[in-house]
Order: sequence, then structure tokens, then C-alpha cells
Amino acid sequence: MSFEPKIVAFCCNWCSYAAADLAGTARMQYPHNIRIIRVMCSGMVHPEFIMDALSQGADGVMILG
Amino acid sequence: MLDTKKIGSVMVVGGGVTGMQTALDLADSGYYVYLVEKSGAIGGAMAQLDKTFPTNDCSM
Amino acid sequence: MECGRHLNIQLLTLSEVSAISGEAGNFTVTVKESPRYVDPDKCIACGACTDKCPKKVDNEYDAEAGKRKAIYVKYAQAVPLKYQIDPNSCIRLKKPGACGFCEQVCDAGAILFDDTEKTHEINVGAVVLAPGFEVYDPTDAKVWGYGVFPNVITSMQLERYLAASGPTEGHLVRPSDGKPVHKIAFLQCIGSRDENLCGNGYCSSVCCMYAIKEAVIAKDHVPGLSASIFYMDMRTHGKDFDQYMERAKNDSGVRFVRCRVNGVETDGVEGDLRLSYVNDDGRQIEESYDLVVLSVGLQTPKHVLELAQNAGIKLTADNFAATSDFSPVQTSQQGIFTCGAFAGPKDIPQCVVEGSAAAASVAELLAPARFELSTEVEFPDEREVADEDPRVGVFVCHCGSNIAGVVDVEAVEKYAATLPDVVYVERNLFSCSQDTQDMLTQTIREKKLNRIVIAACTPRTHEPLFRETLKAAGLNEYLVEMANIRNHNSWVHSSTPKAATAKANDLVRMAVAKVLLNKALRPIAVGITQTGLVIGGGVAGMTAALNIAKQGFPVHLVERTDVLGGNARDLKHTWSGEHIPTALANLVKLVSENTKISIHKNAEVTAVEGFVGNFRSTITGLNKSKIVIEHGAGIVATGGEPYVPTEYNFDSIPRVVTAIQFDKLYELNETHVKQAENLVFIQCVGSREKGNMYCSKVCCTHSVQSAIALKKENPNRNIYILYRDMRTYGQRESLYREARKLGVIFINYELHEKPKVTETGSDIEVEVMDHVLHRPMTLKADMVILATAIRPRKDASTLGKLYKVPVDSDGFFQEAHVKLKPVDFSTDGMFVAGMAHYPKPVEESVTQALAASARAVTLLSKTEVALDAIKATVDKEFCDGCALCIDVCPYHAITLKEETAEDGSENKYILINKAQCKGCGLCQGTCPKRGVYVAGFTMPQIKAQISAALAA
Repeated sequence: MSFEPKIVAFCCNWCSYAAADLAGTARMQYPHNIRIIRVMCSGMVHPEFIMDALSQGADGVMILG
Repeated sequence: MLDTKKIGSVMVVGGGVTGMQTALDLADSGYYVYLVEKSGAIGGAMAQLDKTFPTNDCSM
Repeated sequence: MECGRHLNIQLLTLSEVSAISGEAGNFTVTVKESPRYVDPDKCIACGACTDKCPKKVDNEYDAEAGKRKAIYVKYAQAVPLKYQIDPNSCIRLKKPGACGFCEQVCDAGAILFDDTEKTHEINVGAVVLAPGFEVYDPTDAKVWGYGVFPNVITSMQLERYLAASGPTEGHLVRPSDGKPVHKIAFLQCIGSRDENLCGNGYCSSVCCMYAIKEAVIAKDHVPGLSASIFYMDMRTHGKDFDQYMERAKNDSGVRFVRCRVNGVETDGVEGDLRLSYVNDDGRQIEESYDLVVLSVGLQTPKHVLELAQNAGIKLTADNFAATSDFSPVQTSQQGIFTCGAFAGPKDIPQCVVEGSAAAASVAELLAPARFELSTEVEFPDEREVADEDPRVGVFVCHCGSNIAGVVDVEAVEKYAATLPDVVYVERNLFSCSQDTQDMLTQTIREKKLNRIVIAACTPRTHEPLFRETLKAAGLNEYLVEMANIRNHNSWVHSSTPKAATAKANDLVRMAVAKVLLNKALRPIAVGITQTGLVIGGGVAGMTAALNIAKQGFPVHLVERTDVLGGNARDLKHTWSGEHIPTALANLVKLVSENTKISIHKNAEVTAVEGFVGNFRSTITGLNKSKIVIEHGAGIVATGGEPYVPTEYNFDSIPRVVTAIQFDKLYELNETHVKQAENLVFIQCVGSREKGNMYCSKVCCTHSVQSAIALKKENPNRNIYILYRDMRTYGQRESLYREARKLGVIFINYELHEKPKVTETGSDIEVEVMDHVLHRPMTLKADMVILATAIRPRKDASTLGKLYKVPVDSDGFFQEAHVKLKPVDFSTDGMFVAGMAHYPKPVEESVTQALAASARAVTLLSKTEVALDAIKATVDKEFCDGCALCIDVCPYHAITLKEETAEDGSENKYILINKAQCKGCGLCQGTCPKRGVYVAGFTMPQIKAQISAALAA
């Protein structure tokens, strides 16, 4: 089995979450390993969230905003 | 003229950025609005423009 | 797009007005609605029909530069997002029995080949005509080679080529051979300022700016691209436009060439194009380009001219709706208003301003009927669920084949049922359809569900809809979460259905984990003081105050001097010739007599507290007397001030005067003016140079108007106007034309070669560079008139600080969004109008004042505003008042509270103003003690999602 990383992404409702929606509308294809969590602003992402994700097995964390 | 009953609705002809603004301001201040657009969707010429006016900004 | 969802806006698409009867306050309008051939209640915009449609035609949305199908949606973000069939190209509609692929693939059953035209008779109190413009079609003019040479395109086509959603996905290539473009030329004034070739004598006002923008963006797209703009006058008179042009010149390297190009010819076999023109030095030049863009002007479409004729609307000589400068959105028919490009060519901000201004004028007419036909929805009482055990219902949407075609929705349904606290699961073909909504409401009630997960598309478009459904079912609207298994899953992982199904399971699990922690939230209601405040008693301030009052709301008008009228007291005529003193006197009379307006003269705002709906402004008058005014909204209309020049020996030569001084002398028939044989106007005095890189907008028109009057009075006078770019924009161009016909001499000068004014004996001499002869020439002048700049008021930023509204780098007030919110401030409840915003002629100040009034009344007409409940909330148990959050809050919504408890201990914590909070959660991300959280996005909720995401 090849390595399948698990990525948690925090996306701002007003920009990157909307961008991910548009990527769908445009049928752009990207790897399925990403799990998006919607936040109201990337500034809402508490450092603990990142620690939580990494300690619970995430291979990467993205904060997009 | 004075005792003629006034109707509380308005027709806005044209669903471009101008007509949308009129419609929104009127609907937000207590009037019922009919927004009449010639084509199949509102947006007008501004929707054709690239850049400067990103659609995310176009909150209408 | 709010218009599509607004309860009090009904969209009638594919519709045209065919007749208007009745009178102001009560019209009957006949509207013809063409068939869409698609049932909009069923169409879910999946796009399967377009995919299968075999017929391709030119796409008008792409300005014919790209293709679309016979069944199509106008553009990806269209509102309503419903497909339509073009009957002129559809195979089936032209030949019954043929094709019909779309009907076969439409899972929603939305195709209606037998749809027919409908006629509606609609009763309304007023009509607003905002039908817009069409771009000039350069085919007939022939000389530009448009329609003959494929590499000659219009600016609208270039706009589409540059767009990522356009026919070439944003790649700039030549239409003839698909080769990259290296050298591009823009030709200005195609279909504008040209009575011979196209009959449009007016200036279209927008082409200079869009050409610069397109040149800059094209250069961004193609490194090393050379872009040249061939123009007569660069008319970048709008706010910040001159700075944009300077950046285009200096930073982006766009080349500007002042000339008129004679025509476009082909240059050999490669598809290159040859331009010939006479340059500034009078030399004939030939250059070759691989793409030529025609900056086409705006004109009123034929169907609009017909509509105007039907409605009895008078037009100007240039075929735009005729209006008065002091009621700029009122047409010649009472009760019928106009705005946007139909009222004269203009750019987006000015269109938006006029759109709001039309709303203000309509509302003035229909004030007695406000709230008579608008509706509000009523919902059943909410069920209290806090004490119930969680009962989650999961609804998995197929979205036709959009989700179900990739994701194994049955597997997702089965999986969801295994999740904790999930008591009910079902699948829907379309969760968002009206019948499913009704069914959902019923199911929530029957199964006593108290948490809902919708596994479908994006909450950004559909959460409002499902919130309404919950409300209809008597459940708090915040007890729903969406799992985005379409936009973030089936659409982007269509080649890996197994992985997509696994991801859908994960997304559902995450949504369930979050929704279990959702609590009932209530939108925050903020009361509104239904009174307005207008600061500044000039034309803009008086117009705004009068409109607010006529709409039925009390308003305070604060003027710093002892007289109303402002800068307009120095003006004589609008560009179209209306007499300003008469109109001004009338305005002052109406304002003074209106009982709803309280006028405060000799007064200034000195202190402000509060926020949208609840401002308290302190007004200080003579003898330091103070009063406090409570108001729900405020309009800043404090105006600008004239620049007092130091250049051109203004101080030392008495016959060098400013335009305003000259107007007074002219009116008084002063001897020097009366006897003057030679008059020289110098433009851009204090404008468009370092430190003041903006155009004062009114001076070109003003000088041209004065020149015409002087020349008409005595045709033997020599009148010179020394200018940099003549900016008689829009229909003002007719004045420029008239002045040239009368023999006024226009001489162009460059910024680095400003004219020199000296006095020798009894003569004034003006030296200016002659570009054709390459040497300075000297003009003898009896008087020199300086077209001086308009400056912002020096105290603008002081007032700005009181209301937390910013001024820009030039010192004018800065609106919330240059294009889309041109009269709003970023501070809710505050608006701007007139020259406080930017220099502008009287009629534009009037329009902007009406617009500001309309925007203010959207607040003043309500007793309270409801704000989304997603707001920061303090947890006093944990907050220790460390105040770290106060600095990071971008909306200044947090304050520190210190109090002494009964036992003498100090207690510190923060307070959040919910009206100012936007729920961004920077406070939550910063707080080291969990003393503050955003309702709906709490730490436990997000942590639950993280754990759920990584659980499998």
C-alpha cells in the first residue's frame, strides 16, 4: 500500500472555503486526502487545533485564509 | 391626484448592477419589487468583466 | 447574490416591458415573459443537459469569443442558476421529434419543450428604468478591420479572453492562429467622440479606464508583453483613477500615445496588423502589432429606445434619458425614474450610486405606501430542545447524479445510521427541492429530531435554505450542519468513487460530531433610532436631509457656518446650463420649511458614541452650547474647499485670477473682463501632480463653458485653453465640440513643461511649448484664468476619527468599497455624499446625496435590525481581563470592564458589542484562557470535528 496522508484543512468561510466550492464547480480534480473544516476566519484557528490534529494522526495541517 | 391611492410596489427594469442596487435598497426599506430582466439571469455587463470586480465581492 | 433570495424581490427573467399605463403612484405594466423551456422549480443546475447537447453556438456572454450550447446557463454564478434553451439554435425546438437528448438525461424532469410565452399585468406605484447599454459594434465603420481581420477584437472580447472563466481560460492568444501575443495596441474612442463614423458624439466615460486596466492585466498574464494605448485625451477623472494610470505608466510600463489612429490594415500573411498615425511631433508613423483591441463605447440599445418611446420618455441628443441636474434620476414622465448607463454613459460606482438614488426618489414618491405590500414570513413557535437527548437526523442528497453518480449514497446512508445519536437517515434525490423541504419539515416533527445534518452541497449557498426549513418545523435554525459531499467531494474526486465514498462518510461523521454540540442560538436584535443626522449644509447635505424628511423620518442638519448652500453659492450654471442660484434658493427654502428637518447652524459635531442604529452625536454651537442628538444613521456631506494657488504668479499679477474669481468679475461686467481681447485658461492648477495625484473633475467643463460664453459675447476674442487632457466626459463632450466650432484654441501642455506666466508692462505673457514646431510660443493675455483644484477639507480626518471612518491618501473620505459600496462607510450606519468623497459637479453631488439617503433609510425604516447569532461571547468564568483579544479585534468590538466586587476584590473581564462583532473569532484564536468563544464555532465544536476527521 502506498502512503496515504491525512490532511486537515481549516478554511475561511469567506475566501478559501468559497474557493474550494468553486474548485468543485469547475470540476478541478485533486487528491482526496484532505478534510476541510469551515471556520469564520483563519484567525479563529487556535494553536491547540493544530496540536490536536497532529497528535491524533494528521500528517499535515493547512490553514487557508 | 392627492387622494389617489399609491401602490407600495415598484418595477425595476434591468437586472444589471444598477437595477439590482435599486431593487435591494427598495426591498430593504419596505417596498415590494419586481425586477424585470431581459436575459435568463441577472448580473448585466458587470458579470462579464474580469478582475477588479471579483465575484466574491459582488454580493448582490 | 442577495437579489435572488430577497423575500420582497420577485425576479422576472427573460422578460420585457411592452407597455406602461396609469400615472405616478399607480401604474399598470405589461410584461412579456419568453419561454425558458426549462422548469425553474425543478432544474437543479447539474449541467447534464449542457453536457449532452450536440448544438454549439457563439456565446454572447463571451462577446462571441467563445461557444456555448443550445441549452445553457448564462454564466457559472448566474442568478437564478437555472438552465434555459435558446429556441433559435435548439434542434428539437426547430424540428419536433428531433434530438431531445437533454430531456433524456435530466434526472429532475425539468425540460419543458412545450413552454410558452406568458404575459403579466403588474400593478406598481413607480417604474425604474435601468436597462443599461450595449457596446458599439465596430463592424460597420470598416476602417478598423473588425470582422475582417481576426486579430482585431473588441475590448469586451479581450475582457473575456483575460478571464479565467473565458474561452481561453485566461490565456491571451491570437484568435487567428492561437499564437501567443507579444505586441498589443488599444485604440480609444471607437464609437465615441466621433460623429462621422458612428454618430456618437459623446464620450463613453469608461473606456480610458478599462483600457488601462486591460493593458495592465494583459501585461500580468504575458511577461514581456508590450502594450500601447492610442488616445486623444486620457479621461481618468474618477476617484484614484489618475493614480492607477500613473502606476500603469511607471510600474507596469504601459505605453501611452496621444494621437488619432487613421485605420487598421493587414501587414502581410502572418495576421499581423499595421497602424498608421500622426504623432505629437506631427510625424507620420507606422507600427505593426499582433493584436489590436478596439476600446468600444457604450450606446443605448434599440429595444431601449423603443421602450422609451412607448413610455413617453424624452431623450437627449445623444439618445440617453433626459433628466434635470437637480433631480438626476427623474425622467420626463412623473413616477418613471432612470438610472445607470441609460441616464448617460458612466462607470460602475456611478451606476451603483444612481441605483440607490433612484430608490430614494421612488421612496419619496411612495412614502405613504411603505410596508403595504412588503411581506415578512411567520414561523411557528420554537421547540425547546436543550434538555432533550440528542436525536440526529441525517439527510443524504443525491443531487441527481451529481453526488450519486460518484459517491455510493446507499453506503453513506447505511454508515450514517451507525453513528452515535443518529436516529433517522434517509436519501433524497434533491434535498433542496420544494417538495423535499416540505417532507423534511414533516419528518423533523414526526421523528422528533432535534439535530439535523444535510449531506449535500455547500452551506455557503444552501445553509440559509435549510435554516428556514428548521424554523418551519419549529426547531431552532442553528441546529443544522451541512456535510459538503458535492463541491468538496463528488465533483473533485469523480475518478476515484471509492475514495469519494469514504470521504463522504468522514464528512458526515464530522458534521454529526459538530451538530451534537450545536446549541439553539437567537439572532441578535438591535434597536434603531429612526432619526437621521446629516453633517454639512451644502447641496449634498441639503438634498440628503430633504429626501430623508420627505420619506417620513426626522433628520438633523448640521452646518458649520451661518448660511446654507456651501460651495454651490459660488457657482452659476451646471454643465447643461441650469441656473444654480435659482435651484439652490429653492432647495434652501424647501429644507428650511420642512418641519421634519432640524437645522443647526454655526454648529459642529464634537463627540460621538454608539454604533449602527444607536449613535449619540454631540453638537457644539455658538458659545460652546452643546446638544446631544440621537440618530440611527449619519451622512457625512462636509464638502471640499477651493485650492488657493501659488503658481503662475497668482499672488503678484492681479489679472491672473481663479475660475471662481473670474465668474464673479464676469457676472459684475467688470471692465477688465469686458474689454479683454485675449484670455488664457490654464487647466490642472493644483491637480494631477505629485502630492495631489487626482483630477478635480469639474474644471475642464467649467473652462470650456466660460470660453463658450466669452466667445459668443464677442467672437473676435482670442481664447486659449492650455490643457493636459480635456476631460469633458460623457455628454459634456458636446460643449468641447461647440467650443472648437466657435474657434476656441486648445493647446496641450505636458506636466514637465508647464506654461510660464509673466507680466511685462501692461501685458501678461503666457509661454507654452508648441509641440508641432518644437519651440515655445508666447501668447499675449489680458487675463489669465487658473482652473484651480478642489481640495479635501483639512478637518476631514478629525470628523472621521469621531465616527471611525477613514480618509484616503488625498484626504477625501474613503468609502467602504470603491465599486460596490460607493456611499457606505466601512462603519455600519454611516454614509458619505458630495465633495467630501471626491471632487464632483453639482448633479453628481445631488445623485450621491440621494443615494446616501436611500442607504440610510434602509436602516431608518426599521425599528430594529436582526444580526446573525454567530458572535463572540464572553465566558466570565474563564476571562481574566488580560485584554489580549482587544488588540486583535479588527472591528473594535471588545472593551475591558473593571469593577470592584463587594468584598473589595478587583474584577476584570471583557465586554463584546454584538452589533460590531462580525464573528471572525480572532479573539477565540488568541485567548489563552478560553474566556471568549464564537457561538456556533466553539472550541469544543471544532475539536470534535478534528477528532471525527481523524477517527477512521
